[in-house]
Amino acid sequence: MSKIIKKIFGALVEKPWEGNQVNIDNQHVGSTFKGVSSYVSAVIVIFGVSTVLFSLIVTAYLYSIPGGQDTMFLFKPNLFWFNSFVLILVAYIFRKITKDLENKRTSKIKRNLIQVGALSYLFLLGQILLWFQLMEDGKFVSTNSYFTSFYFFTALHGLHLLGGLFFWGKVCSQILKLDEKKILDEKNKVEALSLYWMFLLIIWLVFFLVVYVFNDAVIAWCKELIS
Amino acid sequence: MSDELNINKKRKNQIKTKSSAASGRGETDIDYVRPAELPEQDLYHGHSFITKWIFCQDAKVIGVQYTLTAVFTGVVGLILSWMMRMQLGFPDLFPFLTAETYYQMVTMHGMIMVVYLLTALFLGGFGNYLIPLMVGARDMVFPYVNMISFWMFFVAVVVLMASFFVPGGPTGSGWTLYPPQAILEGTPGSGYGILLMLISLSLFVIGFTMGGLNYVITILQARTRGMSLMRMPLTIWGIFTATVLALLAFPALLVSSIMMTLDKVLETSFFMPTIIKAGEALSYDGGSPILFQHLFWFFGHPEVYIVALPAFGIVSDLISVHSRKNIFGYRMMVWAIVGIGALSFFVWAHHMYVSGMSPWFGFFFATTTLIIAVPTALKVYNWILTLWRGNIRINTVMLFCLGFIVTFVNGGITGIFLGNVAVDVPLSDTYFVIAHFHMVMGIAPLMVIFGAIYHWFPLVTGRLMDEKLGKWHFWVTFLGAYSIYFPMHYLGFIGVPRRYFEMYDSPYMTSAVGMNEFISVAAFIVGAAQFIFFYNLVKSLRLGKPAGKNPWKANSLEWLTPDVPPTHGNWGEKLPVVHRWAYDYGVPGAKEDYIPQTTAPSEVKDAEVEKT
Repeated sequence: MSKIIKKIFGALVEKPWEGNQVNIDNQHVGSTFKGVSSYVSAVIVIFGVSTVLFSLIVTAYLYSIPGGQDTMFLFKPNLFWFNSFVLILVAYIFRKITKDLENKRTSKIKRNLIQVGALSYLFLLGQILLWFQLMEDGKFVSTNSYFTSFYFFTALHGLHLLGGLFFWGKVCSQILKLDEKKILDEKNKVEALSLYWMFLLIIWLVFFLVVYVFNDAVIAWCKELIS
Repeated sequence: MSDELNINKKRKNQIKTKSSAASGRGETDIDYVRPAELPEQDLYHGHSFITKWIFCQDAKVIGVQYTLTAVFTGVVGLILSWMMRMQLGFPDLFPFLTAETYYQMVTMHGMIMVVYLLTALFLGGFGNYLIPLMVGARDMVFPYVNMISFWMFFVAVVVLMASFFVPGGPTGSGWTLYPPQAILEGTPGSGYGILLMLISLSLFVIGFTMGGLNYVITILQARTRGMSLMRMPLTIWGIFTATVLALLAFPALLVSSIMMTLDKVLETSFFMPTIIKAGEALSYDGGSPILFQHLFWFFGHPEVYIVALPAFGIVSDLISVHSRKNIFGYRMMVWAIVGIGALSFFVWAHHMYVSGMSPWFGFFFATTTLIIAVPTALKVYNWILTLWRGNIRINTVMLFCLGFIVTFVNGGITGIFLGNVAVDVPLSDTYFVIAHFHMVMGIAPLMVIFGAIYHWFPLVTGRLMDEKLGKWHFWVTFLGAYSIYFPMHYLGFIGVPRRYFEMYDSPYMTSAVGMNEFISVAAFIVGAAQFIFFYNLVKSLRLGKPAGKNPWKANSLEWLTPDVPPTHGNWGEKLPVVHRWAYDYGVPGAKEDYIPQTTAPSEVKDAEVEKT
């Protein structure tokens, strides 16, 4: 991170019209951040945009400080925990895939990539089942602002995951057709996907902690802050 | 397709050969620029009419598509403003103009002009056309995604325009779409109208994100050899910073649009408090309308700079080229662009001084708002100092640039009035506010757009626009715009409220009636003058004087392509190599008064470098 900041802000003090700077500028060969592929760059940009998106939803949730919620829901063992575990598992497998690619081990890549997709679909299925459970319990999107935020956030997160699965499908279908040795050519795309899933996990964990695990504590803290 | 692959392979081999030759050169060679490390981009060259001109992946065609669509929406916005002025200047003269239609026109005019015209034109239009050319790339890094971006924008425009034809018509809740009234019965277009508006905005944001992704990554990761960040023209700095702002601000618009859609369709209560209607409580409970205001203005204020920063960048380049001088204080200009961009996220609540916020909150936002004036003023000084003792060409482009500076200073100063809570509160919701924001983010950016079109038209079409018609266009637009907005400041001072359909028998009417008529007549004339511009465009497209290569003798890369207008891929077989910044005009010792960015030092040995 400090390198990135130094790179950008360091550039701002350059004097392009001066002789000494010419030699430095002539060293520029194309990209500002070397070794970062366009795919990874794209994921980083999406990361930034989506972080703002999800942060605003969480902020809106905290701003409205929901009242009258059914706190019993928080303590029931349910699919929420299971789904979170599945997402952590997906991110772990993706990490393994990228490590394998770094070490040029390609024997398990195809299998692991299929696992990643299957588990991600399982997560989505689990989320839909959770929604049904909640609705059977009489907790709909308009029941109160807690559940409004809950459904809204999980729906947007699910849409992000579906978008990722679309690109996973494209990359996976390419890789499955390739010889093991040629899989390394697709390293940039797999790295980008892995980063994207990591981002989805981080967003999910923040949501899980703020809205679910420490919900009461967060609300109490917000109320204190406002008062 | 196989032909394309062969061409691409051939290019790659040529670059490889040249790179290895270059790597053998000594470090002392003053012309030495490090060989490229990026692989050549594989481009999809369309062959049929549809792939070449409709579903096209060439950023230049996409830029033109964005421009034409944005200009179409702009003409709709212009016609709406005419109708509004008809009502305000000559109430009851046109029976079809009811209070409901008036509010619908106000709303659609505002949203169209801010989002669908200005944002789309600066970032989608100029961004697409200029970024790859000015940074020396063959195209955007993801051309397919870029194409989808335009078509999302197109669908967003279609959905928005469709709201004119649905039962109840378009939304009439004001361009800020404040809930709860925006989605409650009694507000014009509170049924399908508001829904289509919210869907259209959501599509716009998704489409823009695809485009913005391309602009940012192309600028950061796909510049040509030698094009360091601080050698980029200020146009690119402006577009880049505005894109970053848009990528961070538009999610707030998306979130608020989706939330309000849910409030409308699923009866959630994000923004809807408990409401009693005709003695009965509606199903809403516990939502906050103020939350919407925060979200809206968290997008809305950076939006001002999303429009302004590309305008700042472009006008800097136009002034430098047409006054034959290097831009004064290039680094300060870059800092100012970046600084204004960063500060723009900390000022949003100055649009909400009358919402009942804590005075300390207002104090904070007034302070940050006034701080923005510092880098902005710095830019104005630098434009003037660039002109100082320059070899100024008083052509249409320069006239529009000068018009911009004056208008921007005018609008900026009234912004300082409104940035102060104590001054804002009495002036809030008056014509003073209308005058302020039309000057600063309506007329001023439009001046830059016109200047930029007159400047880059020869690049896009290979022909020059008619200067005589251009000057007529400028003077009528400039003087006309001042005739409209100067009197509005006065109307605001005497307390004439904005958003009123008619003043009826209020005391304001006695002193304001003549002025309102005058403003309306001026608005009709200024609007009509834009058809001089359209006529000039069409006429010059067919009969304009051939421009040849680089008619303005500019330094930046877009003028240095092997073909004019540039073809798909921009650079023929060889990508350009950059040896200098884009502002070497009137350099002492140089034979010509300009040194293009691709000119190697050995070609201009006697030239002295001038410091700014």
